[in-house]
Amino acid sequence: MSSSEVIEKIKEALGDIIESIEEGKGVVHVFVPVDKIVEAARKLKELGFDHIKDVTAIDYPKENVIKIIYHASSYGNVELSKYIVGLGYSIPRDTERVPSLYSVWTTADFQEREVYEAFGIVFEGHPDLRPLLLSPPVAELKPLRKDFVVKEETIFRK
Amino acid sequence: MDVIDVIVKIITWPPLWQLVVLGLVAPLGVVVGILWFERKTAARVQRRFGPLHVSPRIGGAIQLIADLMRYAFQEIIIPKTVDKGVFLIAPLTALVLSIVPVVAVPFTSVSHYWPIPMEYSVLISLALSTISAIFIVLAGWASNNKFSIIGGMREAYMITAYELMIILAILSVSAMTTSYNFVDVVLAQTGGKWFIILNPLAFLAAFISVLMATSGFPFEIPESENEVVAGPFTEYSGLLYGVNMGAAYIKRFVYSIFITLAFLGGWLPYQPGDGFISGYLIPSLVIIVKATILMAVFSFLRAVYGRYRLDQALDFAWKLLFPLALMGFGLGLLEAYIGLIG
Amino acid sequence: MSGFVSTRGQVGFNDLKIPGAWSRKIGKDLYEVFIGPQHPGSGHMRIIIRIDGDVIVEADPDMGYVHRTMEKLGEGREWIKGIPLYERMAIHDACNVTLPYVRAVEQLLGIEAPLRAKYLRVLLCEINRIAAYLYGFGIFGVFVGHSTMYMWPFGDREVWIELADWLTGARLTHSYPVFGGVRRDVPADFTNQLRKAIRYMRKRLEEYRKIYVDNPVIRARLEDVGVIPKNLAIELGITGPNLRASGVLYDVRYNDPYEVYDELDFEIPVFQEGDALARVWQRVEEIKQSLRILEQVADWLDKHPREPILHDRFWKTAPPLHKKIFETEGRAKLVPLYALLKVPKGKAYAKAETARGEITYYVESDGGQKPYRVRIVSASARNAIVFKYILPGHRVMDLPTIYGSIDYFPPEADR
Repeated sequence: MSSSEVIEKIKEALGDIIESIEEGKGVVHVFVPVDKIVEAARKLKELGFDHIKDVTAIDYPKENVIKIIYHASSYGNVELSKYIVGLGYSIPRDTERVPSLYSVWTTADFQEREVYEAFGIVFEGHPDLRPLLLSPPVAELKPLRKDFVVKEETIFRK
Repeated sequence: MDVIDVIVKIITWPPLWQLVVLGLVAPLGVVVGILWFERKTAARVQRRFGPLHVSPRIGGAIQLIADLMRYAFQEIIIPKTVDKGVFLIAPLTALVLSIVPVVAVPFTSVSHYWPIPMEYSVLISLALSTISAIFIVLAGWASNNKFSIIGGMREAYMITAYELMIILAILSVSAMTTSYNFVDVVLAQTGGKWFIILNPLAFLAAFISVLMATSGFPFEIPESENEVVAGPFTEYSGLLYGVNMGAAYIKRFVYSIFITLAFLGGWLPYQPGDGFISGYLIPSLVIIVKATILMAVFSFLRAVYGRYRLDQALDFAWKLLFPLALMGFGLGLLEAYIGLIG
Repeated sequence: MSGFVSTRGQVGFNDLKIPGAWSRKIGKDLYEVFIGPQHPGSGHMRIIIRIDGDVIVEADPDMGYVHRTMEKLGEGREWIKGIPLYERMAIHDACNVTLPYVRAVEQLLGIEAPLRAKYLRVLLCEINRIAAYLYGFGIFGVFVGHSTMYMWPFGDREVWIELADWLTGARLTHSYPVFGGVRRDVPADFTNQLRKAIRYMRKRLEEYRKIYVDNPVIRARLEDVGVIPKNLAIELGITGPNLRASGVLYDVRYNDPYEVYDELDFEIPVFQEGDALARVWQRVEEIKQSLRILEQVADWLDKHPREPILHDRFWKTAPPLHKKIFETEGRAKLVPLYALLKVPKGKAYAKAETARGEITYYVESDGGQKPYRVRIVSASARNAIVFKYILPGHRVMDLPTIYGSIDYFPPEADR
């Protein structure tokens, strides 16, 4: 199965939910509206994308957008296991609540907690949403957003 | 009568001799040697050097003395949250109670050198040996630390696993000789008829249950470092921790003496004669040497085995060791019936 | 919620409105034990377990004690500086861990490393893999109280670390693969020493089997403990040897071959049992396969002449002085080749099979000298979920067994 066939399959399965498809090196990003994400994830899982490798969030302050992408792949289907499909959505930066995909992919349990602590986005429906790696005071600063600038010390005089 | 005579008399007074010299000093010397042996053999198996830098010429043999000094001068920290009285008393009591059984066993056949009358010495010494474990549980409870309590509870579980087996296995020699007297038991083994040969099942059961009783590998469960830090002794430091460890080793030493008397022929093949040296000192030494060899075997297992899980150890005790001890007991009875003994 | 105020004077827990920052009630008759992070049985992590008697009813892995904010730091550094930064995740597995980052950037640049460089990468990857497995064995040996199995693998690991040292100049954190190639070619006589190490390791694996894997006590501890059924393994998305020990055939080297893995002849062992013992056997078998790969790489390196190990593109931008030094002395400094590297706009996703499983990098560039976003999910980070879903129902004494058999490595998981 080639990568264009995989894209065709996804187009067929998701139909008109798809907002846009972006191809990167070694990955295909499929963007859907945020309120259709659970439905899209279910359909993707039926296709054979049985686990997610990571949940990624990217902050674009210029366009006032945060993209959240679930990179899904397959263990059960050897043909699909080569490909990574990023199912994602864009939300305005001040969005506080988005649906959780824990009910579809159990793997999202820890990954969504990571996105939550780093970007301050609350996943609704997640059973146990707490900061994972960071302590709560640090998590409140939303450190992975672009407007959090790391102050690095160089040689300095008092 | 001059002063030296009086001192010698006091020291060689059998109860004191057995309690202090055989119960405290001898184990200390044995422990120094055994621990060195244990660390050196384990190091050899594991392709290391082992103790080396304290006294390099004799292979680091006095490393343990340096360690003991470190323990002796370390600050004893008593946490605020512990039950102070019990916390302090428990390890000391455990130490004393693990030495006490030494007084109830004979080290010679000469009745002049028995500390107590020996008619029921098998029963009395076994009964005394079982008390000290309670104080380990108590030490864990008094520490008021989660790991200590879990470790103490594990010790309590282990008591139920080994206590009955150890008593059954050693009492099988009483069945063989129809006597509760250790002296009779030893004398029945005269002429090379050691009970390890006549009744290997009971010996094996006793050996394994002693391993369990003294937290030897593969039954090092109450103190297993990776789950419960140091088990009941987690909160102890300095000399108190040393006392705890010492109590464990003395306990193992005492059990080794029991096994030596019951299965390895006690002071045989030496025949005690008259006088202090040939009637008391040499037979004691023979027993201690045999017990030391037994302890060396115990400690060798460290390099070979991991540790069992608690429930597996209990399973092992009740499903395998208990039948084994019973079979040993039965075998002893059978041998006594057909007149193989005495 | 107590009156905790952060020592930094920024935000106290009292002021926090975010979910999850307050304490939680535990069930009745449960005993809560904190295993870690200073506990001898855990690494730099904490597992909060709630036990009922001797049985764990709830486990909560509390990670983050060695979190080094790599994703954020990566955004503030030039592309090349990402390599020494990210290999801090798993210092003894450095080549495997940084390789996908290098490959992702290579994909964005549209270049490919020369063939010899690819073989050299595979060489160090497999050396790292064996060393990391041996490290895992050693830790596991401690966990089940087997001191010999602690000392042996740590001693034998030295063989592989010395080889890596000889090849790269560093025992750990080699920074060996760089964009477009590798840093060094093999020293003379390296392949002979490598073959010697391979023979030695084969002999030692047999001895490990005798004293450890077939040891009755160890078998009793490991068999049917921490069973991860196949469907649950897929559902939880665990990875690496743990996944293959549960009967799933998935290895990046096989499913999506990178570098020269598709030209090499090796097998992917798969076990069906999914328990702790199967995970140990899985690692033993994988070391054997790695040795097989190393033999083939050694043969290839012997047969082929030395050729450039760095892509031409970087030589074009090098200052003339450096070119001259390189021609006369055969060495060059990397900094001028890479310092001002600009990577074209785009996004790339790369994965590799590390010793503990699959590591994935999502790299996004806005065309500048620094990455726009690097998202790393390491194998241990994905395997950590096992503790939450597998531990309940086991006994407390099974915790170190399961922890060790998963080969969980906190610095890698915390990133």
